[in-house]
Amino acid sequence: MLKVENLSKAFGKTLVLNNISFDIKNGEIVCIKGKSGEGKTTLLRCLNSLEVADKGSIRIKDKYLFREVNGKIQYASKEDLKELRQEIGLVFQSFNLFPHMTVKENLYLAPKFLNKMSQKEIEKRANELLLNLELEDKKDSYPYQLSGGQRQRAAIARACMLNPSILCFDEPTSALDEETRGQISKIIRDLAAQGIAIIIVTHDNAFVEEIAQRTITLSKGSISINY
Amino acid sequence: MMKVFDMLIPMTIEGMRITIGVFLLTLIISLPLSIIIAKLRMSKNKIVSKVTGIYIYIMRGTPLLLQLMFIFFGFHYIPVIGFAFGRYQAILVAFVLNYTAYFAEIFRGGINAIDIGQIEASTVLGLSKRFTFMKVILPQVLKNVMPSIGNEVITLVKDTSLVYILGVADILKAAKSVSNTYSTFIPYIFVGIIYLIITAVLTRFLNNIENKFNYYR
Repeated sequence: MLKVENLSKAFGKTLVLNNISFDIKNGEIVCIKGKSGEGKTTLLRCLNSLEVADKGSIRIKDKYLFREVNGKIQYASKEDLKELRQEIGLVFQSFNLFPHMTVKENLYLAPKFLNKMSQKEIEKRANELLLNLELEDKKDSYPYQLSGGQRQRAAIARACMLNPSILCFDEPTSALDEETRGQISKIIRDLAAQGIAIIIVTHDNAFVEEIAQRTITLSKGSISINY
Repeated sequence: MMKVFDMLIPMTIEGMRITIGVFLLTLIISLPLSIIIAKLRMSKNKIVSKVTGIYIYIMRGTPLLLQLMFIFFGFHYIPVIGFAFGRYQAILVAFVLNYTAYFAEIFRGGINAIDIGQIEASTVLGLSKRFTFMKVILPQVLKNVMPSIGNEVITLVKDTSLVYILGVADILKAAKSVSNTYSTFIPYIFVGIIYLIITAVLTRFLNNIENKFNYYR
């Protein structure tokens, strides 16, 4: 599903990611652990093309997001990149919902822009997700009217609108209390059960224990443990 | 007394066309243009952003009165161009250039204030840059900048009185003529009240727009 090979990234002279390789299968839940500043978030950002890697390759399904050609990083063509972006979703730590749009409008925006689904299909998909994530009565609410947990679920729904095959979470438990934490584990397991590969970046060890099928520990930009 | 108003009222109505005309045309052209200038000012291309920066510096760094005079009287002295603006053209060009610079800086601040996370979320969702700007960034920027834009809009009403330097009769000029004819101060009080009424209406209108943006936080 996802294959990362020899990924390296430096900011100036600081090597943040050093020769990272791993792969993830359909429906697998993988946690990426490590102290802050060890490159976890950078890794996530490389996976989502928010950061340009220096070396290595990332392959999603059978297409390269980027790879090294003659020692130079070469990204996929614009068209392929557009396709690949839809394969991989990201739930930000601060959710980054669009504050001026209702939950429903947040969900509709990307599929409407990408023009791949009819309005009917968009609405159907949104209703399904909102129902599963217990947000059906919040669809006309604005993000500021939602609790932290509800905002997170809205962000998950938004990321799922395009049916990604990989979904990344950046510190999903940081804004949650005990109760909503139980809820997010269940949601993530349900998503994995649908065959979505889940990548979770977190320093929350208890959460890792609870949910991870596999854990990758980053330290100083390298993988120290992968089990 | 009646004679004063017999002269003042028709002249004020004439002057109103200039005052309101300069005000509206400047806004209609400057506001959209300033968003483009703000984007150019923020361009990654160093030359583009530098040139825009110099333009803004000149417009904000010299009096509007001087700009009016320069564009009307001074422009055709520049070699090669050999072109002169008419009175009304000069007024419009000067006001638009000046206000676009101020508005552009307000928009730049407003765009910078948007959380980078909004752009990243749009990128991850596969939205194009243009679409992100129009649908995600701009609506939030408009909310942010409304109070500052409102301030400038009110200033613009009063700045329109500067057109007297090119001999164009706005409401202040009308008051001055009548005052000189009848040696009375009443016309000035009269136009003062007119400015206050225009500002009151505008304040109301601007508050309404601000409230329209209050549907979210």
